[in-house]
This record gives sequence, C-alpha cells and structure tokens, in this order.
Amino acid sequence: MNELALISDAQKGDLDAFNTLVLHYQDGVFNTALRILGDEDLAADAAQDAFISAFKSINTFRGGSFKAWLMRTVTNACYDELRRQKRRPTTPLEPDTDDGEEMDSPRWLADPGMTPDQKAEADELEHAIQHCLNNLPVEFKTVVVMADLQGMDYTEVAVAVRVPVGTIKSRLARARLRLRECLQGFSELLPAVFRLEEESTA
Amino acid sequence: MKQRDIELLSSYLDGQLSPSDSARLETRLLTDPDLRSVLRDLRGARSLLRQLPLRKAPRNFRLTPKMVGRNPPLPRAYPAFRFTSALATILLFITLGLNFLRPQLASAPPAFGMGGGGAPDTFAAESAPATEAPAATEAPAVQEPSVAMAPMPTQTVPAQEDTARAVVETPAEKSGATANGIGGGPQEQQPQVPGAAPFVPPLWQWLLAGLALLSAFVMALMRQLSINRWRRK
Repeated sequence: MNELALISDAQKGDLDAFNTLVLHYQDGVFNTALRILGDEDLAADAAQDAFISAFKSINTFRGGSFKAWLMRTVTNACYDELRRQKRRPTTPLEPDTDDGEEMDSPRWLADPGMTPDQKAEADELEHAIQHCLNNLPVEFKTVVVMADLQGMDYTEVAVAVRVPVGTIKSRLARARLRLRECLQGFSELLPAVFRLEEESTA
Repeated sequence: MKQRDIELLSSYLDGQLSPSDSARLETRLLTDPDLRSVLRDLRGARSLLRQLPLRKAPRNFRLTPKMVGRNPPLPRAYPAFRFTSALATILLFITLGLNFLRPQLASAPPAFGMGGGGAPDTFAAESAPATEAPAATEAPAVQEPSVAMAPMPTQTVPAQEDTARAVVETPAEKSGATANGIGGGPQEQQPQVPGAAPFVPPLWQWLLAGLALLSAFVMALMRQLSINRWRRK
C-alpha cells in the first residue's frame, strides 16, 4: 500500500483511495476508541465519525505520521462522546449481578483455540484492565492507549494529543503506575509471572 | 519516589532515554531496591497492556458518498426541468387564483361606474338587516312609494318577506339616488352573468398542470438514473 499516494488521491476527493486507508487503519482506530470509551458500540460510532471527519479535513494533513493524525481525529471523536455523556448521562442496559456489579457480556474476542476456561480467564483479565483504564483520567488514558496498545512512539503520541513530548512522558509514567496499583486489586487474574514479581517485592 | 524518577524509569522501558541517561539510571538501579521495585511495577503494567488482544472492528468503516455529503452528479438539463416545473406550478396557481376571483371582480365595476354610489349603501343595509327590518314592519305605509321605485324584474308575485327586504333596501337606494341624482336601483338589481368567461381558459391550466407534472416526472427519472449509474461505478 502506497500510503502517500493514497493520501494524495484522497486529498483530491478520491473516496476509494481514502477507503483503502480506512481498511488499513480501521482496527487500530476502533481499538483506540474502544479502550478510551470502554464500550464497543460507542467506540464503533466514534470510529465511524472519526473517519468521516478525517475525510472531510484530509486537506489539513501536511505530512508526517498519518497514523498520528488519524489518532488525533479519533481522540477528538472520543472526547466529544465523553463530553456528550457528561451532559446526558445514561444508564447501561446490561443487567446487574446479585452483587450489583454490571454483568459482563461474553463478547470479548479471544483466540478461538482457547479452552472455555482459558477464554473465561482472558475475558476477566481484559475486563479488569479495561476497568482500570476507565478509572484513569481521560488524558492519561489516551496517552497510555496510544503508547502501549497502539505501539506509537512518544513523538507520534505528542502529535496526536497535541502536547509536548515531555508531557507525554510524564502522563505515561503516571498512568502506568496508577494502572499497576489498580491491577493489584485483581491479582488472582494476573498471569503467574506478575504474581511472582508482586510476591517477591512484598 | 520522585515523579522525575518515575518518568525516567518509564522512558527507560520504552528505550526513550539517551545512552548516557540510561547508563546513569542502570547504575542507580543496581544500588536502589525501591527504584527496581517501581521499574518492575511499570514493566508489569506495560506488559499487561501490550498483551491486550487487538479487537477486530465489528463492522466495516468504509465511507459511502452519502456519509460525506456527496450527491450523484445530475445531468446538465436537470436545472432546466426544475425551473420549468417550478414556473409552471407558480403560473398554474396564479391562473387558478385569477379565475377564482373573476366573478367577484366582475361585480366590482358598479363602484366605479355610473350610479355606483348606491353599492356601498346596499352593503351597509345588508350588513344590518336585523336592526332595520323592524323599522320596515313598523311603518310599511311610509315606505310604499319607495317600493314602487325599486323594480323587481325577476319576481312576479313578491312575497311578504321580499317586500320587507325591498323596503329595507329602499332608504339606501334613496340616498344613492339623492347623492347621484340618478336612481341606483336598476343597477343594484342588474343580474350577474353566471357563466362569465374566466381570465385564463381552462385549457391553459390543464397545459400548465401537465407541464409541471411532466417536468417533475422527468426530474425524478433523471435523478434515479444518475443514482443507479453512480452506484454501479
């Protein structure tokens, strides 16, 4: 895929060229939105909005990392959604368990080769991580999702979030530390290697 | 633990420190167990996050022309048909309006012609029949000469009610007569032509309606063909 040529064609209004880029980046964009928003449907809507917005403003792309530019668009879409939620809070439709906890739908995508037990464990771990992510301030969450989930380097994250690299370093360090503290509450779910590390430090 | 040290450790994990900073930090790590502990915590969190499975997008996010507000290109003749349809529709309504008002306009000329002075009085008399009628019944004998002045060409045997109405109308006609010096009565009773020719012949209206509908149909056809062609691309 010649990304630069596709971007150039998209800037001339070629929707097919832009759709080729969409197909290439849609999983990354969706996952970023999913981890920031913590809801699959909202994330899908935010991803779609981000692509529409990206196409409409693609002429403002002046080179550099297209992924970072696209991530900025999806981050903005997520922030819009979070602002909307703050204005109009909604009640989730998922049923609650006896403990009053929201019942988790077993829709987590996992390796199809996993046994039901392994899958259940992976689901629970993923749920625990998402729970801890949700507890982070949104600016920390965005940075940690881009750096650790999307594997973007500090410069790309700085472009996407529009803050200096120094701020990215600081936010990332604090976000990781908070996540670690939060995840210690789910120690039974953590892989053995992390439990051993924890015990050795205790 | 200082915030600065946590940032250094986090950057060290990502390989974002300069070689000299990395070497300095590694030396400190050898002697500082707290620093090693925080490094383990940060590494653990980072590893867990990186192990999160990448979800497949639940649907395709490809954009359609509609999503980005694009419309199919319409033929060049399309605006001409749109203009024709709009113009024909406007003209049709104007002609309908004119033809509807035609009888009322036809009855207006007496106001501007001879003896027209009687017309407003007539309306005035008609607008308040209830108050004037008792007066007419009270003194029919006084008004008798006026009855004679008002010819009733269409009625051979005037009923009692008609007589009363004629009596009511008489004072108005009287005043009209005194104002103009000519009796307004005959003009008042001038029969209107029921089948007065309309301003615009109905044939023209049918033609305008047909033109408007035809243009609209052609427009819809053009649009549908353009959409189909666009989708096939």
